[in-house]
Amino acid sequence: MNTIVLGAVAYDPKVVTIWEGIRDHFRGAGVPMDFCLFSNYERQVEALLAGHVHVAWNTPLAHVRVRRRTGGTSRSLGMRDSDRDFHSKLVVRRDAGVRSLADLHGKTLAVGSRDSTQARILPLHFLAQEGVDLARVKVLPFDTDLGKHGDTGTSELDVLAALRDGRAQAGVVGDLVWVGEQAAGRVDPSRLEALWTTPGFDHCMFDALASFPSAQADAFWRALAAMRWDDPKSRRLLELEGLRQWMPPREEGYASLVAALDAAGGW
Amino acid sequence: MTAREARPEPADARPGASQGAAGAVAVDVGDLAIGGGALAILRPALDLVTEGGVVTVASVSPAFAEDVASWCRAERHVYLGAERLPDGRAVHRVARGPHGAAPAGGASGGGGAGLALRRPDGTFLAADVLAAVPFPAHADPATGFAPRGARVEPGGPPYPVDLLDRDRLAPPETARLYDQAVAAQWDATRDVPWDKVATLPVALERALGQVMTFLAENELSALWVPAKFLPRLHPAYAEVAMLLAVTLADEARHVDVFLKRARAGGGGLGVSHVTTSRSLLSLLQQEDFTEAMFLLSVLGEGTFLDLLRFVEVHAPDEATSVLVGKARADEARHVHFGLAHVRHALAHDPALYDRLEAAVRRRAATMGDAGVPASVQDALTVLAAHGDEPAAVRTGHAAFRELLEEMGHNRVRRLVAAGFTVTQARTLSDLHTPNFM
Repeated sequence: MNTIVLGAVAYDPKVVTIWEGIRDHFRGAGVPMDFCLFSNYERQVEALLAGHVHVAWNTPLAHVRVRRRTGGTSRSLGMRDSDRDFHSKLVVRRDAGVRSLADLHGKTLAVGSRDSTQARILPLHFLAQEGVDLARVKVLPFDTDLGKHGDTGTSELDVLAALRDGRAQAGVVGDLVWVGEQAAGRVDPSRLEALWTTPGFDHCMFDALASFPSAQADAFWRALAAMRWDDPKSRRLLELEGLRQWMPPREEGYASLVAALDAAGGW
Repeated sequence: MTAREARPEPADARPGASQGAAGAVAVDVGDLAIGGGALAILRPALDLVTEGGVVTVASVSPAFAEDVASWCRAERHVYLGAERLPDGRAVHRVARGPHGAAPAGGASGGGGAGLALRRPDGTFLAADVLAAVPFPAHADPATGFAPRGARVEPGGPPYPVDLLDRDRLAPPETARLYDQAVAAQWDATRDVPWDKVATLPVALERALGQVMTFLAENELSALWVPAKFLPRLHPAYAEVAMLLAVTLADEARHVDVFLKRARAGGGGLGVSHVTTSRSLLSLLQQEDFTEAMFLLSVLGEGTFLDLLRFVEVHAPDEATSVLVGKARADEARHVHFGLAHVRHALAHDPALYDRLEAAVRRRAATMGDAGVPASVQDALTVLAAHGDEPAAVRTGHAAFRELLEEMGHNRVRRLVAAGFTVTQARTLSDLHTPNFM
């Protein structure tokens, strides 16, 4: 079998550890795989479309762009369990007098990077759908790590810091960051609370072109699915990559992102 | 706000809930948020049920209601929704997810019967704990330093330990010997009457210095040899490590008192012989735990029991008599463990005798035709003679020859007690090192 070349974005040094480990696991499973790293998702999407890599490990924004650019013919290969049913949280200062979404008008709303699905694109889209007039909200953006599509989580931590410091009365972050920060004891519940939760959406996806052979797609999935949380070697990699188990692909979880990009001209 | 008793409610009937799930557990988190302490109530409750088992969580906190489903998603539990009680509280239902350690109180749990282990006299023995939480037949390197009886989360890294089998490591007497060893600890500074060191004739003082040098050198090996096996022991057999740790403390104390006695009379230390050095190196180079315990504790320390009794009987002063007597009592425990270990291992591995004999033969081959180191022979003779008067030395030398005979006789006796036939025991005894250890 030909070596599958996978693209991933180097948003953190651990990305090398993750993919070297997964490469070894794939080899052990009889599926030759190698990876190359990109500095941003835009470059990675172009490389996939140009055939320089066979598979791209994509954010939701990169995924829907691949779907759009291929006319929906691209092959989705798999996702993390944590990529399913993602939500964003509207977090407010308890002293800000924001008791409903309508109270956001006239307030400062901290948001993450403009290419972050969970900390910017979708929460603003859903807030507008709920009747919030974003023109009447002072948006405080944290456009850190652009090109990484929010992978680093830095802009979400910036949002929480702005809330703690009183630079914003409200802010939006992904649900996993929000409960993770709370579980770690880094949130003072007497000062901050979640007021509202967005509808669910799906997150990252392995994308390939339609020309990617089915046998290789099957082998790719087989090797992924063989990674077990209870296996010490796999577990270390799964922890770093933020999942317990790989899941088959599904497309319905991206409809809201497509609608948001259509509405805002964000393609 | 505390967990109520688990109620025997039927398990969740939702499709996907596992068969045989534990009954539901109910908790109340009051007005606590996820980040405000609610997890300290919710997580232990989930710990009580198996995968698919349901915990109901009463709460008056809107923030908790907003976040509990997200927390379930992050932890791979299943959020089943909430209903409102007439008193205004929300009752959320959470089904335990597939990951994490086995539930508390399950088959792999344990830790024994808790306080019932304590004895009416107020003591609490390691032997009682071991009886309640016995050694596993085999241990998994992936459980690492998890104490035996703990619920181990699966997926931990394997530890570099290779002594994994109960029948090769851990005789049932282990914890009892540990209890005895701890109770018998003594103080090398205060428990020896150092003011009773006598001023001895020069020849006798020199002989005593030589004997103490020899004892200390051998006891140093008895400190190093078991120590090298400690990191290889699986922590599930912690009582073996604990006993070895006390044994090492014994050996350290012996080295301490033997060298103190050598120096206390002004005679100083004697000679370290190549025969001794070669013999002890061959012990240190043992890589098999059972073979090492056999050579060190059964043959070596066993033989040392006779040597120590000889020195005690012929001790020229009270300090020497006391310190050697105390060391001998410790050594008797070491021999006891060695015998128990080898007897246990032989009972489970009929091929072991051949391996042990081969280990003794290999060691004998490295020793060549060496005899008891010359100055050790002389020193023991002079010690038994209480000086170097020829008439007394005749008696002293006879006592030394008797010692050698007694050592051989007792070695055979111990080997038979360890489970060898008389013929096997004689063969092994005859091959034993002339260095005694």
